[in-house]
Amino acid sequence: MFKQLLACAAALAALAAVPVEARTDKIKVHGASLEGNLEGNAPDRDVYVFLPPSYDASANRRYPVVYFLHGYSVGADAYDGLARFQEAVDQAAAAGNELIVVMPDVLTKFKGAMFGASVTTGDFERYVAEDLVGYVDAHYRTIADAQSRGLSGHSMGGYGTLKIAMKYPGIFSSIYAMAPCCLSPSNFTAEQIEQFTAMTPEQVAAAQGFGLAVPATLSAWAPDPKNPPYYVSTGVRDGVVDPLLLARLHANSPLVLLPQYLREMKGLEAIRLEVGDKDFLLQDDTSMHEEFERFGVAHEWQVFEGDHGNRVNARIRSDLLPFFGAHLDK
Amino acid sequence: MKALIATALLALVAAPATAQNITAPPPPIPEGITVEEIKVHGPSLTGNLEGNEVDRQVMVVLPPSYATSPNKRYPVVYYLHGFAIDGKNFYNYMRVPEAVAKNAAEGNEFIVVVPSTLTRMGGSMYSSSVTTGDFRKFIAEDLVQHMDKNYRTIATRGGRGLVGHSMGGYGTWVIGMTYPQVFDSIWAQSACCVSPRTETVESATAMAAVPYEGVDQSGFGMRAGLASAVAWAPNPDNPPFYVDWPIKDGAIDQSVIDRWRANSPLAMVASNVDALRSFDAIGADVGDKDGLVRDDTLIHEELEKFGIAHEWAIYEGTHTDKIGQRFADVVLPFFARHLDR
Repeated sequence: MFKQLLACAAALAALAAVPVEARTDKIKVHGASLEGNLEGNAPDRDVYVFLPPSYDASANRRYPVVYFLHGYSVGADAYDGLARFQEAVDQAAAAGNELIVVMPDVLTKFKGAMFGASVTTGDFERYVAEDLVGYVDAHYRTIADAQSRGLSGHSMGGYGTLKIAMKYPGIFSSIYAMAPCCLSPSNFTAEQIEQFTAMTPEQVAAAQGFGLAVPATLSAWAPDPKNPPYYVSTGVRDGVVDPLLLARLHANSPLVLLPQYLREMKGLEAIRLEVGDKDFLLQDDTSMHEEFERFGVAHEWQVFEGDHGNRVNARIRSDLLPFFGAHLDK
Repeated sequence: MKALIATALLALVAAPATAQNITAPPPPIPEGITVEEIKVHGPSLTGNLEGNEVDRQVMVVLPPSYATSPNKRYPVVYYLHGFAIDGKNFYNYMRVPEAVAKNAAEGNEFIVVVPSTLTRMGGSMYSSSVTTGDFRKFIAEDLVQHMDKNYRTIATRGGRGLVGHSMGGYGTWVIGMTYPQVFDSIWAQSACCVSPRTETVESATAMAAVPYEGVDQSGFGMRAGLASAVAWAPNPDNPPFYVDWPIKDGAIDQSVIDRWRANSPLAMVASNVDALRSFDAIGADVGDKDGLVRDDTLIHEELEKFGIAHEWAIYEGTHTDKIGQRFADVVLPFFARHLDR
């Protein structure tokens, strides 16, 4: 018996000595917050969990977790293709920065959740802050504490990062918004809304890129359960958009919301805001930086060389994971 | 005697012109009711740029058995006052002790708490602003925690109700949506400021022209506009009001109007449906001769649209003439049906 145990221990030690290929789990995480959404988005979401190399060999070790929210028009698969997260996690670990990265898929009927608390899309703010965090803490060896939890995202995901940090204080201690979209209040024109309401179901199904950005925004921020088939506010009268529709959108704009959520933002350990110098969002993101300055919200601000998407992969390696390595407790 | 009157008159004349805030005589206090006037410290209000008091006056009305049943705990109803009045005068006007006694006689005992949120501009708007202070958090956290620590409350969500009149009705909506986990049930009486506030170039120009020392004399409507502006579009770099005016270079500054809009209950409902659905019960009412009847009907319709269950009544009355009666006869019985005890 004793010999067997010894042999077993030796085998385990040998196993641990071999460089272990880090594991990527692709799991489903149910969202109670998404149940009953009117768009028919799946409440069971695909989620990538990128584990650090030592995870399986160090059975008692716990790790900080970085949540990453992807951008609009594609899902988590495409973002992993772009960012190659496991490779980034392995490289960070090799540099002494071991952490778990979690990326949920938030592709919806209109190609992006836009992180609203909406009956039409489902409440994707709460999904991230409660359902997903709760599941990951229950099923992985995380350090289940805000001090060891970071939130990040690109574009729509950068928007979600700022918004969720405002709405759910105490879940994440540091946040990283890469080229966040949708910071200024959305002011859709009657023409934009009418273009959408004139689309046939076939056109909606065939739309690519940003072709459904208007309905995605409306479904997340201006839901209307009494207005089928898409259950969004579409009020236009005599060529004028219903001011209340716009008000509902504005109530989801981080630039507009910031003065109401200063305590939440100032309570974070660290904030990174960044954008490429050739990004169409440069001005919008600079406005957010200026608003942070005006209200005394400490943050790191960087304008890097690049456009909206060409540096995502590189910045995750050079800045995002090191940022969380510096700020999350391990 | 004559000399006394003369002195009193002189004092009145010599006193600096004060704001036109509403006052009411002290109410009768029925036998068995205990009233305590306390101060509650508000960490959420510290550092506000208007210099509003951080230690707030609060009226606490205790039910008859509170003194005689030392082990009993009670549900608490937080009652938010309107614009241009303080908590004590609102408590006076609403005759809260009699309302508590009447409900106690019917077997429904509550602690009723009336905080004062009067500010430099005449009202906090129960908003989260670096200029006025974070009055949402003051109510939902500082005040609730003080009560739970110092009184025999039922210190859980199930034991707490939130109600307010006019600006306090507005406060009930926005605090309810922002801190739903704190209160079991909410009721808005004649809520103001439900729809997004708008301005014309003329009205915005007039607002921005009010001298800081002239606020108190600027009239109810103007003061309410100024209070809204500092609560919803604060600017720490723009003294003395510390506000972003809704006008810039002779035109409406839409970015300021947008920030106001994001504080509108009507605009907020669509993004806070789960919060509203999480309440045990919601109620709202307004008088048929109240100028706010249309606005309050809109939020009733918005709740209907989202299938958010609520009681709703339009009764015969004005903005103020029936509210005390309805607090005693409708609102407290509503909480009696829903709060734990």
